[in-house]
Amino acid sequence: MILDLHSHSVASDDGRAKVENYCQWIARKGLPLDGLVLTEHRQFDDESDYRPLEDRFGLLILKASEVETEYGHVLVFGVNDDLRAAFDFARVDNRLATVLSESRRCGAVAVPCHPGRPKVGLCAHWETRGPVEGIEILEVLNGGSREGENEEALALAERYGWGRIGGSDSHIVSHVGRCATRFEEEVRDTEGLVRALRGGRFDAITPAPESG
Amino acid sequence: MNAEELRSRFTGFVFDDIDLDVEADSLAGFALACGETLPKFTDPSDPEFQSVPNYTTRIHGTRSLPPDFPVEMDRCFDAGKSIEIHAPVRPGDKIVGRSEIADIYEKTGRTGNMLFIVHRMSFYNQRGEHLSTVDWRLVQREME
Repeated sequence: MILDLHSHSVASDDGRAKVENYCQWIARKGLPLDGLVLTEHRQFDDESDYRPLEDRFGLLILKASEVETEYGHVLVFGVNDDLRAAFDFARVDNRLATVLSESRRCGAVAVPCHPGRPKVGLCAHWETRGPVEGIEILEVLNGGSREGENEEALALAERYGWGRIGGSDSHIVSHVGRCATRFEEEVRDTEGLVRALRGGRFDAITPAPESG
Repeated sequence: MNAEELRSRFTGFVFDDIDLDVEADSLAGFALACGETLPKFTDPSDPEFQSVPNYTTRIHGTRSLPPDFPVEMDRCFDAGKSIEIHAPVRPGDKIVGRSEIADIYEKTGRTGNMLFIVHRMSFYNQRGEHLSTVDWRLVQREME
């Protein structure tokens, strides 16, 4: 099963894609995606109901968040009320250690994203601030990365033996699916995604090019 | 002053308002400048003549920010506009535009920390109909 674990809709202040348009694009281009996860910046969208779109397009559409820490941006999968009470998603100065530990305590999974990106990626901060305990998975393929950034992330993940995910980081429809994650087991909902991430049977991939 | 303090001090009140009489030539000229070709947007004699949807994005108030707003303009740039359209503007309309700061927030990006200031103008016609809401984002970058 292949999921794009990192995407932004118009709910993010810099997102220019409606979720329906993502679905239309995936269908029209025949992208080998079984679904996508919406990781809106500094917030969790608990209002939108994408079940009609899931039924219409045969895609899994899940919701997560991208929060900001002193070590860069972090995807959080399995967001719930307990986690939202544990730290302020809107802040740009959250502590990575807090995001990691509270995510684990609340039954979620936190994954540093675009680690090779200057200022907002883990790698540079890892060198200057030092290691942080608690990372188990890293986004090693990010569709918005520049040359060398994904390679730097991959090297860090391999160095520590972390799990590897991929996500497009799409903000416009044509970028969805540029990078993704292949799971060996089926994921049907957010709880299933968290289980699958904890299970470790997944890897970052670059899906096949567009078919048309 | 951080984003939270700025938000609590500067959001929630109208700091500027303007009046504008809309003329047909202004509507047609803006439509043509946008590359519009449909007569209902470009030809004042068309029975359905009205503004292009984004017409009110061209209208500015008398000031960008409230008095005493602590912004350093030499570190600012325009981060674009978004518009929510409720009703078309018609020739002869007398528009009122009211400005407020809708939101102030921070984010981090490749270039460092950024402070976003959302200037919102809400437009109404002479009948009090809400025509549109235009959000203009101004970004202030951190000092290198």
